[in-house]
Amino acid sequence: MSSVLACDRLTVRYGGKTAVDRVTLDVPAGRMVGVIGANGAGKSTLINALAGWSRGRPEVEGEVVLGGEPVSGLSAYRRAHRGLLLVPEGKGIFGGLTVEENMALVRTPADTRDRHAFGEDEIFALFPRLRERLHHKGTALSGGERQMLAISCALRAAPRVLLLDEPSVGLAPRLVLELLKRMRQLVDLGLSILLVEQNVRAALSVVDDVYLLERGTVVAHGPAEEMREDKRVVEAYLGRSDIEIAEPGSPHP
Amino acid sequence: MILVQQFINGLVLGSGYALIALGWTVLLGAARLVNFAHGQLYMLGAFVAWFVMEQAGVPYFVSIPVSVLAVALLGAFMQASMTRLVMEQNLTSLMIVTLGFGYMLTGGAAILFGGAPQTLDSPLQGMAVRTGGVWFTLQDVLILACALVLFAAVWLVLNRTRIGAMVRAIAEDPKLAQLFGINAPLVYLGIFVFEAATVALAATLVAPRTPILTSMGFEEVILTFMIVVLGGIGSVGGSLAAGFGLGMFTAFFGTFVSPAYTTAAAFGFVLVLLSVRPKGLARR
Repeated sequence: MSSVLACDRLTVRYGGKTAVDRVTLDVPAGRMVGVIGANGAGKSTLINALAGWSRGRPEVEGEVVLGGEPVSGLSAYRRAHRGLLLVPEGKGIFGGLTVEENMALVRTPADTRDRHAFGEDEIFALFPRLRERLHHKGTALSGGERQMLAISCALRAAPRVLLLDEPSVGLAPRLVLELLKRMRQLVDLGLSILLVEQNVRAALSVVDDVYLLERGTVVAHGPAEEMREDKRVVEAYLGRSDIEIAEPGSPHP
Repeated sequence: MILVQQFINGLVLGSGYALIALGWTVLLGAARLVNFAHGQLYMLGAFVAWFVMEQAGVPYFVSIPVSVLAVALLGAFMQASMTRLVMEQNLTSLMIVTLGFGYMLTGGAAILFGGAPQTLDSPLQGMAVRTGGVWFTLQDVLILACALVLFAAVWLVLNRTRIGAMVRAIAEDPKLAQLFGINAPLVYLGIFVFEAATVALAATLVAPRTPILTSMGFEEVILTFMIVVLGGIGSVGGSLAAGFGLGMFTAFFGTFVSPAYTTAAAFGFVLVLLSVRPKGLARR
């Protein structure tokens, strides 16, 4: 299966401290890949580095390849133009702008070969609530609506790969599963997604492949169905009943 | 009749103030940046126009675009040299660096243009309209018309276009803007160029009313700051209203109380208003 996004020995340091250590990762076309791990494992640092984006000033080493072309030297906005779209954790939209203005900020690239730019109708079919909130400012939206808007903006930019960083943060458990199911539908239609998620049970219910990150290093990798049985995953993430989010017994086929 | 005359004076003064402050309105108000060399850019705008008229013998209306272009290029250079501070929204360092730029511009202008007062001659300044006991010049009409048209255009661009949305987005979160595919450094460059160009335009329109000196600029910065804060940071309409308000206050206070204390009294007025309405005149 051809790879749409890959990184080779990606290392990220903040002030001399290594947050991500020689991570090699692959997102095959039309698949949903999950990166799971505990808080502070380096998941967000990894996904931000793939997008060439950070709120700090990290030192990044290693190669990032998008659709066969290296993008390591490109800034975040150039990677976005090429279809590497990150929806960051938390604040992914502009609160001072309306829903309509947020969506209009994104310009669909002229060349969309091998890419699909989602039109308004497709986005409103996916998230009908946004149509009702079109003229509301971002600050007036609920957490779920903000997440929908952030994802919609990324979809309008014709993503080759959608990078989702903790989309479940701040959402009610019912909404988490609903949102992830909709993302799964997009993958089934051909989109490639890299999902970083602390809610391991929810993530495992929708992804195809999983990378388990611990202290910035990949410690396990494999198909989701195998990883569900992995001792480390079961003991550390699936053993507790208080993270019961996914419908029991309904793993993604 | 003196009231009508002072009203006209206030209107012209106010539109001049507003024009001078327009660039800062976008810079500080929309993009959350500062440029304390703003006053020196005003000085330079006036002197570049004067210089090309004197040296190259070009007419006043040709000197305007020449000055706007020259100062816009300087604005681009300033922004390019401060990209990192701008991207990090480091306002304290920006304040110091731009103050330094201002002093360098004052020194450079003194060497280039000399220290003597000069006059920027506009043919419209000598064309007076006298009617019913009041008078004004065609230059006054030009200043008022340009202020109204430019403020309307800027308001429309900021609130009704994608470029305006990009400026507001970058003001809110320049890092996030990059994930939307926006080239934030380029937008900042555009904002700085706009600020420099509009203050140069304001200078070429307003400066013919008074003698020009290479040492001028400080008063314009203070005035601009007052207008932008009084208008409510982020409000284009508020800045225009504040400009007119300050113009009216200056005209009436100068006539009926004393021109010597106008600036001090204006600051007192701003202080009282901001203590009642901390967000200025803008409706929020």
